[in-house]
Amino acid sequence: MRDHLRAASGQVIAIGVALLMGAIIILMVGESPLHVFMTLLRGAFGDQEKIAGTLLQTTPILICGVAACIGLRGGMFNVGIEGQLFLGGFAAAWVGFAMPLPAGIHTLAALALAVVAGAAWVAIPAYFRARYNTNEVVSTILSNYVAVLLTSYFTIFLFKRPGGWSETPPILATSYLPEIFTFSRLNWGLVIGLVLAVGAALVFRYTKWGYGVTMVGSAPKFAEYGGVNVKRQGFLVLLLSGAVGGLAGGVETLGVHHRFMEGFAPGFGFDGLIAALLANGSPVATIFTALFFGALRNGSLLLEVDTSASREIITVIQALIILSVSAQVLVRKRGDSQAGERRWKF
Amino acid sequence: MSNTPGSPTLHSNAAMAVELTGITKRFGAFVANDGIDLAVRRGEIHAIIGENGAGKTTLMNILFGLLQPDEGSIRLNGEAIVIADPSVAIKAGLGMVHQHFKLVPSLSVADNVFLGMEIRRHGLIDHAAQIARTRDLSKRFGLQVDPTERVGLLSVGIEQRIEILKVLVRGARTIILDEPTAVLTPQESRELFQTLRSFVAEGMTVIFISHHLEEVMEVSDTVTVLRNGRKVATRPTAELSKDELVHMMVGREVSFDRRPRASLHGDVVLEVKDLWARDDRLLPALRDASFTVRSGEVVGIAGVAGNGQTELAEVLSGLRPASHGGAWLKGRNLTALSPAAIRQAGLAHVPGDRMVRGVDRNASIAANTLMGRQHRAPWSRAGMLNWNAINQNAETLIKSFDIRARGPGDAVKRLSGGNIQKVVLAREFTNGANFLLIDQPTRGVDIGAQEAIHDEIMRQRAAGRAILLISVQLDELAALADRILVMFNGRIMGEVAGDDADEERIGMMMAGVAAPEFAAETAS
Repeated sequence: MRDHLRAASGQVIAIGVALLMGAIIILMVGESPLHVFMTLLRGAFGDQEKIAGTLLQTTPILICGVAACIGLRGGMFNVGIEGQLFLGGFAAAWVGFAMPLPAGIHTLAALALAVVAGAAWVAIPAYFRARYNTNEVVSTILSNYVAVLLTSYFTIFLFKRPGGWSETPPILATSYLPEIFTFSRLNWGLVIGLVLAVGAALVFRYTKWGYGVTMVGSAPKFAEYGGVNVKRQGFLVLLLSGAVGGLAGGVETLGVHHRFMEGFAPGFGFDGLIAALLANGSPVATIFTALFFGALRNGSLLLEVDTSASREIITVIQALIILSVSAQVLVRKRGDSQAGERRWKF
Repeated sequence: MSNTPGSPTLHSNAAMAVELTGITKRFGAFVANDGIDLAVRRGEIHAIIGENGAGKTTLMNILFGLLQPDEGSIRLNGEAIVIADPSVAIKAGLGMVHQHFKLVPSLSVADNVFLGMEIRRHGLIDHAAQIARTRDLSKRFGLQVDPTERVGLLSVGIEQRIEILKVLVRGARTIILDEPTAVLTPQESRELFQTLRSFVAEGMTVIFISHHLEEVMEVSDTVTVLRNGRKVATRPTAELSKDELVHMMVGREVSFDRRPRASLHGDVVLEVKDLWARDDRLLPALRDASFTVRSGEVVGIAGVAGNGQTELAEVLSGLRPASHGGAWLKGRNLTALSPAAIRQAGLAHVPGDRMVRGVDRNASIAANTLMGRQHRAPWSRAGMLNWNAINQNAETLIKSFDIRARGPGDAVKRLSGGNIQKVVLAREFTNGANFLLIDQPTRGVDIGAQEAIHDEIMRQRAAGRAILLISVQLDELAALADRILVMFNGRIMGEVAGDDADEERIGMMMAGVAAPEFAAETAS
């Protein structure tokens, strides 16, 4: 418990430092930091529609965050969630517009294909990791570019909707994820995200498989000694992480956009990874960090209306958070510098 | 045979390159160096030898300024000096080649050698001059490298040469090498020794850390033996025999009494036949081992560390492939099975590398006691863990093995070394296996806990388990083992009955003298 508190306080300090540095930058562009932060807060939580908007932004970050947590738990850095999200999003859209099915079943089928697409996409780096010990950080990052361009190709050359936009035909209403309120596009995707986060935590804590994976991530040689198949579990954990990444894309397509378009969900995969790192790889804590990033994204919409600061300031603050969190991780790892050095030796 | 330790010259002496006086270094309650005196003559190769954990590296880190001694003083070339950090040491003409190399893989050999002290011309790095100087030095001392090659493409042996070149370029006259041969092939080791001799020929001084007897005998002029943080002796190498050296290294500070026992020898549980295995460098490390272990029997494996014991343990537990031969546990060939399958076939394993293999330091005691048995009821049913049962069991184990902890939820990293070992023993001894593979059960464990661990091993023997006990401590083997096999250079040199464990005879075999030869010698 004391460890948890210490870790959590570290993250809070990291965010605090980032906000402080952000404030300095806001001062430098000639705005009042207080005004900007209050506007952000109002933009994120000002009324029920704003809150629903924040939750809508939170959803894909949360699901991607859970995907990252699954990888991290097994010692795997899946930096390819963005790509898995794009492929999952496209796969769901394809089922949505090309295969008429009864309502409900249609949604499930589309989500299922999104899951398969995400898993299949990460299977390539996962295989090379298990077979040849290829660093998964590099191969999953690179796979992002291919995924984004591949889905663009599908959209523009194979399934383009007639008209000017680079997007697929709209999906059939039978495949929609139902909305929760009438006043917002907030949909059941949020519930899926919450269930996934809690479910992942329970699986890690209460199943034999989760125990093995946790040990592979935390002490691989010990796991090997105890009879856990380290390579196989590493492969599976990446596959599962990719599957959840694909699901995030499916949820975004079926719940929000109702079609697949080029660049449809920029940066959610990376935001999810950061949310997971900020949460120390805990899926439940990721609910809160994802909410934080969702609020930043949604609050920034009001920023351009009400202040002279650009919404890009949000990107700057996020980058500062990444910096201070990674600095903190490095400080914490110093006692374990051998492991640290190896971890970052590509 | 004279037993008087060679007394070092304590008075200041300009013929001495290095003089350490009364060096003491404590880490918490652990005394790594206890009043060590060391005098190294200029122009000699001085070997420092001792088991793992004897304090060799600590002492050298103090000399190089990486650690500060709690007590004691240092003189270089007769002059007192305080070495506050490595830059002082380098300025004073010391150079150290560490066990782990610190090179930039993407840079060339010459760039690595001159990193941080580049030769400049008009403010730019003069690559040609750097390459020329590197080539020069490498020729002069027989350190064959191509200065233009990228370091990332080179083998470990060559990386070591680059580290030595780095030290030379920085003007070192006294060079410390920390276990330099650990990463080398025998051929590379021989080349290294040539280089060391060429240093001495030029009037430089070499301090050479090792736990390999033969290299020390081969290359050094003087040997200092450390054991448990203390100096045993400093002697000219020429006056020493291998078995004297073994004797000084292994020593006997704690003498365990031989445990009383009833003969229980039952059926053969483990049969090892013609077993060969390679080490991480792919060199043969285990050669043609054959032996059996019966139920109710403790078979000890003696030997200086690094003579194939680790590889033997790893092959038997499925963590390393065998290159030839086999090992049968109740009829099943272990060399064909995964670690999980070997556990299922009835292996319990107390690993020598306890912190890395034996536990997850970040996890709780309860989670650590689960490893290896998570597939079985009552610990799991239908894939779901039963934490009630796991915690209760951990609580029981904490009591019955006297583990000093607040409870099953305590993280293992909060425990002392001895208590961590008890967690490992508690887990492995209670998993119902017939064959116990126990590697260095009491390394780094205090004497009280050692006794308790020995009691437990004897209880396991009385319960009819077959036990293979690997230890570098002869006392431990003499106290516990029914039979002792002695390993040297990957081979089993011979067998001694535990009841008449003759330390001299074991020592000879540990030094590589085969049992029959020894018999012939005593007969004549």
